[in-house]
Amino acid sequence: MRAAFIAVLIELAAAVGCGSGAQAAGQAARAEDGQWTMPAKDYAGTRYSALAEITAQNARSLHPVWTFSTGVLGGHEGQPLVVGDTMYVVTPWPNVLYAFDLTHEGYPLRWKYRPEVSANAIGASCCDTVNRGAFYAEGKIIYNLLDGHTVAVDARTGREVWKTQIADVGNGETTTMAPLVVRDRIIVGAAGGEFGIYGWIKGLELSSGRILWTARNIGPDVDMVVRADTFRPPYDHGTDLGAQSWANESWRTGGAPVWGWVSYDPQLDLIYYGTGNAGPYNAEQRSGDNKWSASLLARRPQDGALVWAYQFTPHDSWDYDATGAMVLADLTIAGQAVKALVHFDKNGFAYTLDRASGRVLVAKPFTTVNWAQSVDLSNGRPVINPAKQTGASRGNIKDICPSLEGGVSPASPPAYSPRTHLFYSATNNFCMDYEVRPARRLKGTPFMGVTSPYSAGSGGYLGSFMAWDAASGTKVWENKEPFPNWSGALVTAGDVVFYGTLDGWFKSADARTGHVLSKFKVGSGVVGNPITYRSPDGRQYVAVYAGFGGDWALIAGDARSDDPSDIRAPADPVKDIGRHTSQGGIVWIFGL
Amino acid sequence: MNTQPSEVERQERVRTVRYAAVVVLTGALLCCGPRHSTQEQPATVPPATAYEAHVVAGDTPPPSGSLRNPHHGDSAVARSGALLFTAMNCDGCHSGDGSGWVGPNLGDGRWRYGGADAEVFSSIYYGRPRGMPAFGAVLGSEGVWTLVTYLRSLTAPPDLPTESWQN
Repeated sequence: MRAAFIAVLIELAAAVGCGSGAQAAGQAARAEDGQWTMPAKDYAGTRYSALAEITAQNARSLHPVWTFSTGVLGGHEGQPLVVGDTMYVVTPWPNVLYAFDLTHEGYPLRWKYRPEVSANAIGASCCDTVNRGAFYAEGKIIYNLLDGHTVAVDARTGREVWKTQIADVGNGETTTMAPLVVRDRIIVGAAGGEFGIYGWIKGLELSSGRILWTARNIGPDVDMVVRADTFRPPYDHGTDLGAQSWANESWRTGGAPVWGWVSYDPQLDLIYYGTGNAGPYNAEQRSGDNKWSASLLARRPQDGALVWAYQFTPHDSWDYDATGAMVLADLTIAGQAVKALVHFDKNGFAYTLDRASGRVLVAKPFTTVNWAQSVDLSNGRPVINPAKQTGASRGNIKDICPSLEGGVSPASPPAYSPRTHLFYSATNNFCMDYEVRPARRLKGTPFMGVTSPYSAGSGGYLGSFMAWDAASGTKVWENKEPFPNWSGALVTAGDVVFYGTLDGWFKSADARTGHVLSKFKVGSGVVGNPITYRSPDGRQYVAVYAGFGGDWALIAGDARSDDPSDIRAPADPVKDIGRHTSQGGIVWIFGL
Repeated sequence: MNTQPSEVERQERVRTVRYAAVVVLTGALLCCGPRHSTQEQPATVPPATAYEAHVVAGDTPPPSGSLRNPHHGDSAVARSGALLFTAMNCDGCHSGDGSGWVGPNLGDGRWRYGGADAEVFSSIYYGRPRGMPAFGAVLGSEGVWTLVTYLRSLTAPPDLPTESWQN
């Protein structure tokens, strides 16, 4: 058994490319191996699998074949990995790592890894104790612990290989994002946009965990690893843009965290990631564009050098993090083949960019948007509605759409099918009032100063799951949901798309029409991301976490039941959600 | 085991109203950063308080200290505490009205670490596990008592335990 397993690992190492790097990884992505070894399936972040046993014709008979309680109640964002004949599951804090043996009936554990993770990190997490998943590389499972550590665990034995402190919980930094490994570099970042951190991204050495480079997302060029010979932003000129665009050196506590996803283009040798909101929420304390908060940054993985950057929301006055996934796809736009990057932003616009240059090609709203009228493609800037500009001197600004929960949550990554040429994404339909006050940073406490009640957007629904044509910026179909949709997307070569709902349904739908093919109530609201894989029995399965959570303002504290000393009223305007779900992490596997 | 108010406590009580006004009206506390008052003595805080209703081994509770809130029930101090609650970023975790977010609801009449004045004092002064920061050094005893007075003024709805979706 062990010899067979090692053989699988060797085969896998060859396929994923230990050492030979990006080229081999690219080949592995093209030849479907039935595994799911990184958060978004591939470097491009497509969450597309070429497996096609489950089709739009037979998905009706999908049913659960296995479940497992993780024993943890926090919001189960992220997704499992399947490597060879093992499934790996990371829980929210306290970040237990489970390894399930897919070759035995009942999928018993091969091992579990229980790291020591400081409970102090719970209070330094703005929005629940989530973890967005692990990455498999060179025989190691790499993931972040909530308290500012990255760990490498031997994928075969479960033994800790190394553990590195990358962030400071006492400064408001927590680590929820999913790492990305490129060659011998691990790319990691930290959350903390609500705590006034000085946002950054780091490159660690895969073999040792040593921190090889640190690049700030805001601040002077020297801190941001901006060099005159390599930095070519599409719309900006000058030096120290990340410092000059912040009055009174407010970049020092300006936020711009990294709590989402990282993509990679092997040909261009660029990593892509989005930065979170600028802090504090009172934008009058940080006059200027506040580059590069709420932005997309393209860097070289080897040394972190910034190659270009584009800001979705200059002078962010609405908490519009840009930490949502950056999906790389080769599209045809107006007859031209384009190496594109597609991003659904919290600010309600879906962007299609040229991923070599950073220039915006298409930017259209995918949900109700009123903070800006449009995006000016000549300079990449939003045409802002001045009536929706917020600030402490402006009082309570009413009815801003989308809400700060986002037109889509960055925690809900989209999928892209090269067969349908469509992107699939959850959406939210919320608006908000926004009243800010001057905030003072007190290290270790929130640096926010906002009151922002939500209201339902128009149309009588709170969320949806949609198909989007990123070449034209148009919605192709949309399944409206009674609650905000906080699930990631999966699409397959069987032309089936999968997603969960906040009230606890797991659904499959026809990728071309949106017609729902199957649904099953999975015990808790879904805020995780479905994956698919071929098991050792040769069959295709779909796995997803149930486990309501991920945002206390949204999800209604009355959906928690584990603490008799903490009783919450239902959250407006999702009062009924507590009727349909409660917390609890469960791994589900579905098959035909 | 100082069951009687100490001399320092008595002095603090005298300073109370003026102190609260300073905190709220000028924000002096906030402008000066972490503050270690020269008047602040360890003796003003008991070495231990019975902060939870623990099971008692052998039917013999261990000795514990006690503290008295110099502003208990003072609605003016409670109003000052509401402003301090926002100024010290408490709202960032517990929500603007104390109804809970990442941190627990402080207005439901239920307490993880006890809801008596001295117990709430300890929670704020020394912090608690799972991320509650220790504010004792930046607020001093007087600032903490001001917050305690505010939190104790919040009242829970009578039907708190029951949430019903029936008409």
